[in-house]
Amino acid sequence: MVRVMVVDDHPMWRDAVERDLAAAGHQVVAVASDGREALARFPAAAPEVVVLDLQIPGPDGVQVTTQVVAHDPNVRVLILSASGEQADVLEAIKAGATGYLVKSASSADLVQAVERVAAGDTVFTPGLAGLVLGEFRRMSEGPQDDPVDQLTERETEVLKMVAKGMSYKQIAQRLVLSHRTVQNHVQNTLRKLQMNNRVQLTRWAIEHGLDDDDR
Amino acid sequence: MAAPPVDSARAVEDRLFKALAILRVVVTLNMVVLNAYRRDNFDHPTAGLFVTVALVVWTGLAIWLYDDASRRTAWLLGADLAITVAAMALTPVVKTPEFNATVPGFWVMGALLAWALRWHWKGGLAAAAVLSATDLLIRDSVDQGNYGNVFLILLGGTIVGYMCASLQRMAAERDAAERARAAAEERTRLARAVHDGALQVLAMVQRRGTQAGGEWAELGRLAGAQERALRSLIRQQDTVPTGATDGPGATADLAGALEAVGTAHLVRVEVATPGTPVLLPAAVVAELAAVVGACLDNVCAHAGDGATAWVLLESGTDTVTVSVRDDGPGIPEGRLETAEAEGRLGVTSSIRGRVAELGGTARLETGEWGTEWEIEVPRGAR
Repeated sequence: MVRVMVVDDHPMWRDAVERDLAAAGHQVVAVASDGREALARFPAAAPEVVVLDLQIPGPDGVQVTTQVVAHDPNVRVLILSASGEQADVLEAIKAGATGYLVKSASSADLVQAVERVAAGDTVFTPGLAGLVLGEFRRMSEGPQDDPVDQLTERETEVLKMVAKGMSYKQIAQRLVLSHRTVQNHVQNTLRKLQMNNRVQLTRWAIEHGLDDDDR
Repeated sequence: MAAPPVDSARAVEDRLFKALAILRVVVTLNMVVLNAYRRDNFDHPTAGLFVTVALVVWTGLAIWLYDDASRRTAWLLGADLAITVAAMALTPVVKTPEFNATVPGFWVMGALLAWALRWHWKGGLAAAAVLSATDLLIRDSVDQGNYGNVFLILLGGTIVGYMCASLQRMAAERDAAERARAAAEERTRLARAVHDGALQVLAMVQRRGTQAGGEWAELGRLAGAQERALRSLIRQQDTVPTGATDGPGATADLAGALEAVGTAHLVRVEVATPGTPVLLPAAVVAELAAVVGACLDNVCAHAGDGATAWVLLESGTDTVTVSVRDDGPGIPEGRLETAEAEGRLGVTSSIRGRVAELGGTARLETGEWGTEWEIEVPRGAR
């Protein structure tokens, strides 16, 4: 059983997600219809997984992700979005979300995604894998003095296969690896992406004198 | 009567009149110094002093009057030109009838340019004609220098007037473009909310329909197809090309083009792109899109239209790579060789040939996991 919080401004979707999760034996410990409610209810509800729509009345999904991960580093955020706004999805992943699912996914996909994210696994769509590949490429072409954690060749290879719609099982077969190893590679790409994002934010803060509390 | 000037044209005119105010000060100083230096040429020095002082006073007044656009009336411009003509006409009286330079001298360009700025080339030409006629009429003989001045005044007034109109038109065009861009951004912002709502409903219909089964499942399937099409359209809008859209140097966005190919195709296609525009020469983009279309046709022919295909675009520093994979049964071992031996490798060799023309390579891999084309093209392809 997974303790889940559902954040969505559409009651129709909130109810549908709640019903699906309850039917699969999970517990919805809190719901929220906007970012403010989500942040207010999060500490008391202490969910393991936050199922989060990105387009919610402010603070938006990316800010909610940043805040809940800062409050509880063990929480998992699964983005469930209807939108095609790729930039927002990438920002949410960089902020610490470990899963992304479009709303057109089936009930079974949703339940499975929540379970996998709760278990520490990552849930990618091919589209998101393509974005992450592009992001690492952009970072590698950025200023040389940026301490960017690059992907290994194997990690890039695995991510490319995810972007081409292959399941972890198919990737494992094709590369003659264990399923667990493939999962680890994908997790590492997200970890590096989030790490690089934190490094960049810290650099930005130092450059703008925000690290000095005395001032 | 011309249309009332829009704000951008007004701003240009204001700026030019400010510049003219400085010019007026310069030509006034020039006039005062020259008339003081040549005071011996005056038959009536007191009258000459009076005219000069009157012109200085008028210059100060004119600078103040012209500063506000609402005061730049036909009356003001008429008075400005009339005073200039009067000062020129008084020259034979206060100087000698055989005078060389008029009392105002170069000072006349104040009124001339004011007419040119306000009424463009027609105003410039009209004022120049009046000043030229006055200059020629008050002289008892016209030498080459006088002719030259008249010629320059006629040309100068007209050209400055024309340039002023052009500047105003350019400013208006720039403002219109800025307004159009702001409007487009606002539309995109509004569309985002509408699209999000539509996507939510389509996804919900798909979900409920699938659960309900039967006819509803078909409705759900249709909603799913529309949802994918709309999401793809939104992504294409995110990567609208910025450069020239035709001509030899035209570039186009390969990411958007592949989204379009994927949406339009019969098989279900998921397109993964770097999320930013991938700009290449328009001809290369068109050819690559056509090749990917051919790959997808091939998927349709061999794996059936129930298959799903994935298109991945990667953009490197020197090359771009497009992969097309399907989840079909793959090509049985030996089949390609047999086909090649029988000389019916139509599609495969056509894809390879088209990519080779772009200076790239196309690799075909097949296995239990499906069939995959990997097309790599140098960025310098044309």
